[in-house]
Amino acid sequence: MNTPHPGHRATTAVLAAALALLVAATGCSAKADGGSGGQDADGVRTGPGVSAETIRLGALTDLTGPYATLGKSIVQAQQMWADETNAAGGICGRKVEITVKDHGYDVQRAVAAYADISPDVVALPQVIGSPVVAALLDDVQRDHLLTFPQAWAASLLGKESVQVVGTTYDLDMIAAVDFLTRTRGVRKGDTIGHVYFEGDYGANALEGSSWAARKAGVKVVGQKIKATDTDLSAQVSALRKEGVKAILISAGPAQTASLVGVAASRGLRVPVVSSAPGFAPQLMKTPAAPALAALLHVVSSAPAVSSELPGVRRMVTAYRKKYAGSPVDSGVLSGYNAAQLLGAGLKKACAAGSLAREDVVKAHRAQENADTGLGVPQDFSDVDRPASLSTYVLKPDAKALGGLVGAEEAHRIPGAEEYLKARRS
Amino acid sequence: MTGLLDDLLGGLALGAVYALVALGFVVIFKASGVLSFAHGSLLLFGGYLIAVLHDDLGFAGALAVAVLATALLAGALDRLLLQRGDPGPGAAHVQTIVTIGVDIVLLTELSRRIGGDLLPLGDPWGDAVTGLGPVTVADSRLAAIVVSAVSIASVFALFRYTRWGLSLRAAGEDVEAAALMGVRLSRVRTLAWCLAGGLAALAAVFLAAFPAPGLERTTGQIALKAFPAAVLGGMASPVGALAGSLLIGLTEALVAGHQSELSLLGEGFADVAPYAVMVLVLLVRPTGLFGTRGAARV
Repeated sequence: MNTPHPGHRATTAVLAAALALLVAATGCSAKADGGSGGQDADGVRTGPGVSAETIRLGALTDLTGPYATLGKSIVQAQQMWADETNAAGGICGRKVEITVKDHGYDVQRAVAAYADISPDVVALPQVIGSPVVAALLDDVQRDHLLTFPQAWAASLLGKESVQVVGTTYDLDMIAAVDFLTRTRGVRKGDTIGHVYFEGDYGANALEGSSWAARKAGVKVVGQKIKATDTDLSAQVSALRKEGVKAILISAGPAQTASLVGVAASRGLRVPVVSSAPGFAPQLMKTPAAPALAALLHVVSSAPAVSSELPGVRRMVTAYRKKYAGSPVDSGVLSGYNAAQLLGAGLKKACAAGSLAREDVVKAHRAQENADTGLGVPQDFSDVDRPASLSTYVLKPDAKALGGLVGAEEAHRIPGAEEYLKARRS
Repeated sequence: MTGLLDDLLGGLALGAVYALVALGFVVIFKASGVLSFAHGSLLLFGGYLIAVLHDDLGFAGALAVAVLATALLAGALDRLLLQRGDPGPGAAHVQTIVTIGVDIVLLTELSRRIGGDLLPLGDPWGDAVTGLGPVTVADSRLAAIVVSAVSIASVFALFRYTRWGLSLRAAGEDVEAAALMGVRLSRVRTLAWCLAGGLAALAAVFLAAFPAPGLERTTGQIALKAFPAAVLGGMASPVGALAGSLLIGLTEALVAGHQSELSLLGEGFADVAPYAVMVLVLLVRPTGLFGTRGAARV
């Protein structure tokens, strides 16, 4: 989800351009629909996706491709939110309905699915896949469709309609370097390794780690890898030669398992810190599980699903009751959280008298302290800033639900403000 | 020094895994002149079977079933799909393209089943390692070295000392003459495909075992790294496949191990290096390390 497919870039751009042309030529754009919005009996202005009875939302997800497990978790969690919301009377006196479209992690299918559903929805609480999000960026901006992507690259900031929840990958790595220097004895003059995926995810993460390391007087040795690299023996050899005191990893779960397993077996028992997408509960069933439990930490802007936070516990209990047998992973939490945040924006928009798309975006952006009880409060008011500057530190535990337990409570990432200022200038 | 030893040993072990895959490419190419692009998904098919069956049958049982089933699938693919096409000149090229289609179909279905999962194969080595002096190597990789050496020796012996091998080589020299001498071409060929299928399932074990975390939907794509190895070796020689694979494994390990010194070439050069080596070798020896002059190339 977090790795833009290299080959897709060009195709994506061409497709986006073609779609834009098509839409412009046929004049069937959602913008035109936006103008056709009227006023309902209750005095609330409406627009595409909103009728007197329903508010329709859209999800572009992956139910048949590589992220099918994650996609299913998010779809189920958001459906649960919709059911709960409707049971409590809906939003603005209207029922919430979510139209789910599967794109199987295929950008072309996603673009087609977007064209299909976008005229009839008011917001997108879920879009999976960095390449998909990248392909649709201009469209959601033009259509003023409030979108919650399941991707966290800093390049997604600065778009009025696109809302990345929590921290971006660079901030995660700044938090990781802070964690290492604060609690794991990494000192000035030490060397740390950073294994990262090519593409937005890795590049953005490396930006953060390099900045934080420079501040701490630590040297970063990068090792760029691809999503198909699942044997990281050579990378471990290289990092050992550099004498690294710790390793950061911004890749997928398979890479994390290989890195930690190989490092431990070769006697390189140094702390490893991963971004949230680098972990999955299944890892605790691989041969690397003991090494992961001993060496790995995960920085995440969301708490573990095993967290004792009342909001998380209530949601997880409800989810396990409704979808018995489905795994409870981080997708459940992030999906439910995004839906709740969107719901809050919709309620605000309703109170302000309009559910037209632009007004939903406006109402959403007016929230400076959106708190769903599922982690840290989010500030959506500055489109150029990440919605949160706080992070949790989690650690693997084979017995815990979701395979992770909390190691450090949410805290503000030291240096984040300074980094953002430096990045802006 | 330890670093260099580490890289060398890691490279050899990686090369041994590639060799099992490259051997499959070579056997198929020698028998049918087809470059099988379906090899990666056949490998994934074998690995997937082991992953689902090992709980019930134990690792050895699952492996046996998977090797057999993948061999049958590969044989059926050749017999039912490839051999039924027009046998005229250029048929091998058409069949090569058909394998691309087969690969897409198989891969799509397997990806759908595997999804984002990481499937353990239940192999007996786990994450155990053996120390050899100052360096360590994973037991699974030691097993890979032994298994690929034995496989390559067996295939070599099969080619050299059996009737089937004789027929295969005869067909490789001159198809028409071989047919006139009573060689049952289609059976010889299908058997070669079966052999390659079995080897693919075997290779899946070592591609998914530690240091890799398990079978993923992308495991089959790793097989493509063995492609330059097979080309390097001359496409039709089992020994060449071994030499090519070791060369590719060493290149990858050494380049990744010295990435910081090679930063001039850009990071992530380790992924490109095998192909760069392939091009360089082909510039000097256009038929590959162990290739024969005039062999058809795809």
